[in-house]
Amino acid sequence: MNRRAFLKTAGVALGALALAGVPARAQALEGEDLAKLEKALQEVLGKGFKDLTPSDLIKLNMPAIAESGANVPAEVEVNLPPGQVKAIHLFADKNPTPHLVAFMPMKALPYYATRVRLAETSAIRAVVETADGKFLLASASTRVTVGGCG
Amino acid sequence: MAIRTIVRLTPAKPKAGENVKLQVVAQHPNEPGTRKDAEGKIIPAKYINQVEVYFEGEKVAEAKPGPSTSANPLYGFMFKAEKAGTFTVKLKDTDGDTGEGTVKLELA
Repeated sequence: MNRRAFLKTAGVALGALALAGVPARAQALEGEDLAKLEKALQEVLGKGFKDLTPSDLIKLNMPAIAESGANVPAEVEVNLPPGQVKAIHLFADKNPTPHLVAFMPMKALPYYATRVRLAETSAIRAVVETADGKFLLASASTRVTVGGCG
Repeated sequence: MAIRTIVRLTPAKPKAGENVKLQVVAQHPNEPGTRKDAEGKIIPAKYINQVEVYFEGEKVAEAKPGPSTSANPLYGFMFKAEKAGTFTVKLKDTDGDTGEGTVKLELA
């Protein structure tokens, strides 16, 4: 296929995807592994996946594709007043240790940025523990070409 | 061995009430304990597992990164700039090595 034909096909495919307008949450995420995540959630929070409420208040910024899993930028921002957020946790379903970080904002704004290792293509979760004991969830998925843990 | 720690603020001189990003970069291999060396032996885990941010001596934020943080890690925080003062960031890894970096917050 030459470049022009490829671009045309790709454009049509993207357009169709946009038109379909499927809510991202309804679909299974690429690299999802709930069994492993469940175990990590129990260990860290003492909660299961079903105890988490998906929320639009959390903005989780992950690249869709990462060339190297050794250095993947991750950014999470919570649209809640500072005092409302007790802790922000990040998880990667497929990592040997899924729990990436626990962040306690205290006097800081509910925002955290870091760079993480991803073992393989994986779903990433941001779990926010609120002051009133709720657990909010946002998910993203990053495709990894070369793993960062092996 | 001390961990080399660099701290900077963006914007460098915020206005009062403006949000300011505090970025910390550490020079550290952050070995997750799952990687193998050339002979196939597992490299033991050694990673930064504690990041504390102090403002004028008061602890204002804390992060506990796990082994899945990349080498030479970055930690980004956001604060509302209210008054001038000094941020101090203290790092500690699993072997007990520590690092410290400071940055002055000046208001525009």
